[in-house]
Amino acid sequence: MKKLLLAGVAVGALLGMMGSANAAYVLAMKGPGAGNPFWAAVEAGAKAKATELGVEVVVVAPPAESDVQAQITQIEDLIAQGIDGLALAPTDPNALAPVVEAARAAGIPVVFVDTRGINEGVTFIGTNNEVGAALAAKYLCDTLPAGSDVAILQGLISQSTGQARAEGSKKGLTDCGLNVVAEQTAEWDRAKGLTVTENILAGNPNIKGIFGSNDNMALGAVEAVKAAARTDITIVGFDANPDAAAAVIAGDMAATIAQAPGNMGGFGIQALFDLKAGKTLDAWIDTGTVLVTKDNADGYK
Amino acid sequence: MTDSTAPGKTGINWAKFLEVYGIILVVIVMMLALAAIKPEVFLSAQNLTNILKQNASLALLALGMYVVIVTAGIDLSVGSIMGLSMVALAIASKAGVPWPVVLLIGPAIGIAVGWVNGVGLTVLKLPHPFIMTLGTLNVARGLTFLISNGAPVSGLQPEVRYIGQAYYSFGLPPPAGIPASLILVAVCAVGLWFFLEKTNMGRHIFAIGGNPHAARVSGINVDGTLTVVYVISGFMAGLSGLLLAGRTDSGFPNAGIGIELDAIAAVIIGGASFFGGRGTVMGVLAGVLIMGILRNGLNINNVSAFWQQILIGLVIIIAVYIDVLRRRASVRR
Repeated sequence: MKKLLLAGVAVGALLGMMGSANAAYVLAMKGPGAGNPFWAAVEAGAKAKATELGVEVVVVAPPAESDVQAQITQIEDLIAQGIDGLALAPTDPNALAPVVEAARAAGIPVVFVDTRGINEGVTFIGTNNEVGAALAAKYLCDTLPAGSDVAILQGLISQSTGQARAEGSKKGLTDCGLNVVAEQTAEWDRAKGLTVTENILAGNPNIKGIFGSNDNMALGAVEAVKAAARTDITIVGFDANPDAAAAVIAGDMAATIAQAPGNMGGFGIQALFDLKAGKTLDAWIDTGTVLVTKDNADGYK
Repeated sequence: MTDSTAPGKTGINWAKFLEVYGIILVVIVMMLALAAIKPEVFLSAQNLTNILKQNASLALLALGMYVVIVTAGIDLSVGSIMGLSMVALAIASKAGVPWPVVLLIGPAIGIAVGWVNGVGLTVLKLPHPFIMTLGTLNVARGLTFLISNGAPVSGLQPEVRYIGQAYYSFGLPPPAGIPASLILVAVCAVGLWFFLEKTNMGRHIFAIGGNPHAARVSGINVDGTLTVVYVISGFMAGLSGLLLAGRTDSGFPNAGIGIELDAIAAVIIGGASFFGGRGTVMGVLAGVLIMGILRNGLNINNVSAFWQQILIGLVIIIAVYIDVLRRRASVRR
């Protein structure tokens, strides 16, 4: 039902703009932009760029980031409508690969934003998550004495983002001589981050640092650490969402990693515009990552 | 089995004993096994506390689901009710609504959605509760995203967090102790047991589950009773939302997605029949503990989450198969 409704909205929006002479680009996000600060920023970046270039942007998203089927349906419907370009954040790169091929076969330029797809020759515009996670690992390395026990809360490791953050952090932490005693998935979820951290603390009382592959899990870890009355555990998250920024300012979390979601939307639309104009693009346009600590957290609240 | 029931042979009726307490034995065996594998961690006060507080909200959901399953029904909406309650009470808490009012929001939303479920079933005469509650599953989840704009709402009043987060340490080092949420679960479990076993309506609920037509013919107000059943399930789901919001200090709109299946699994593992009329409160709590201890045991041994899913699936099948065997044996007798 949700899918139908969203597809209906997308079709309605498209019909509305078919009348205009402007090129129509579609930004297909993984999750709804309304309220989710990350996707809202991607959306805002895309819309600002569209205004600058004088093109139309339609934004679609499945109701939940796990709803792969809904996203496939949306893209199929968009291809049928005939659009001028598609900037896609695939919920599942493998599952979306066939529809991406179908779009290209229909002559529609495609770029990936936020999450890299598996299709050959499609430019990826987004964070190098491995570099970002390594940045978080470096912060823990600089803060903690060598040989300290640390834990990694992994995201969904069936997703490339989850994999890249797990690998980047593990490599960074082990290379600088920290001791990774637990790596478990908490599926990007705050309640699961709390539960998994409680269990990790029970089994590994000497933990000194925790890297949460996203802020939700890191904030769950904050609750577990507080309940255990531990003040000697350094927690680093990823995403720099407003709750995490507040936690960094309050001293509950030491740091988080900011992506540049506005760049993803903006660079994405620029890339489609350039492709339409016949230019060639680099295989990977990095949108950058920043370490967020008490010094600069105010900007992310 | 037949021997033990014959009078004069032994003092104890083993078949009856296993029927009632067999599930508790499973819990004890699991605990012994984990204690043998990882004694220093599993039996630590901290870890035992973890198991209790991690499963409190599931226990409430399962108790509510149990009442529904006793009537041969199902309530798919509980996870969404939980999410809606959490987000609504978090928004109210942030907006400065007095905390005693905020505490009531979760249960009130649960009662409201449960009542809608009951009305859909009895007044609209939708053919099966699966359909009505599948509808409210979507409606309540949609409302959750709508009122939160899809974003988590964090930072609750300390009084609102209390029941989900506080624990009484009795001198143990933190975070070990008796969680306040355990006391709420105990109160709900005892209350539900009393309601089902000692009141007329409780007996009617079992009668409806056993044979709805016979219940109707014998003068039981089936529609009214069924509505109460779904209200109870919704109420428990709202209460469990209050627990999880307190525990995580957040109302996040993805909370409780899919947890209705965990609640159903716990009820079924605990020996309740999907066809209604059979089950015990104690069995339900044991079912929750079996799933909780299994997850905890796999977590502290660093077993991947993928294996946990596989094992929980197998446990559901095995638990029900054992139940089938037991019942077949008693029928032959």
